[in-house]
Amino acid sequence: MAQYADIVEIVAPGEAAGGSRVDITVRIKNKHSSTIGIMAGGALEYGVSPWPGITFPDLSANVDGGITRSFSGYFTMSDKRVIIHAYSYYYGSDGYWHFDDEMTKTINLTEEIESEFGSIAIISYQRR
Amino acid sequence: MGAVYLPSQFGVIFLPLANVQVKPGDKLRITCRYSHIGQADSQPLYAAIGNEGWAGFDEVLHGSKTISMPEDASWNYHEEYVDITITTAISAGFYDLYAKIGGTFPKVISPSLLDVVEVMAETPESEFGEISITDYAKV
Repeated sequence: MAQYADIVEIVAPGEAAGGSRVDITVRIKNKHSSTIGIMAGGALEYGVSPWPGITFPDLSANVDGGITRSFSGYFTMSDKRVIIHAYSYYYGSDGYWHFDDEMTKTINLTEEIESEFGSIAIISYQRR
Repeated sequence: MGAVYLPSQFGVIFLPLANVQVKPGDKLRITCRYSHIGQADSQPLYAAIGNEGWAGFDEVLHGSKTISMPEDASWNYHEEYVDITITTAISAGFYDLYAKIGGTFPKVISPSLLDVVEVMAETPESEFGEISITDYAKV
């Protein structure tokens, strides 16, 4: 349960092709009554260690009390199913970022069909 | 006369095909329609003139070229052609046609079209038989 920076939603596709760029949005709500600094973070779980990170071009923002802000990020899809771990942090009066909330979402690997031929027929022939 | 049955959104289309006459030095352009699904690919398109028999297709002349097909998320039809050069290696007569995609192990093979190619005898070289005077007048 988040104290201040509550992750409301991870917006991401249900599946993606291996090697493709996956764009995600993490929506974080400021549960505090006044403006605080909120930061987004994320990591990818798919069997490698340490977990690769998610790039958020705009990591942090000052968010007014009660407002939900969207943080856009992206990563390159692995060749396996990926579990996104999104994290939120708030900026404390002590001058440090404090971990606050976590949410996960699974992205399945798009199944690629190999090249396959069904039929062929000669439809015309002519002297050249 | 040959004919081909093509699948379409209305069922099956019967497409009658007339015979074609060729002679050494000509090229025969064979256009094929094929269906494809899946990743983009490159494969040889191969067509042959010969004789369909109980033991298979006895090829006399053939042509091939590499064709590229795009990624198809669902079954899609594409058309491509391949040329066969008619040489003196084939003698006069009626022949059959077939086409396939793939190399040694074909991905797909077309039905054979029977007796659709008539190879004509090579035109003889210039030759003179006789000459005679048919008229004479003052000019």
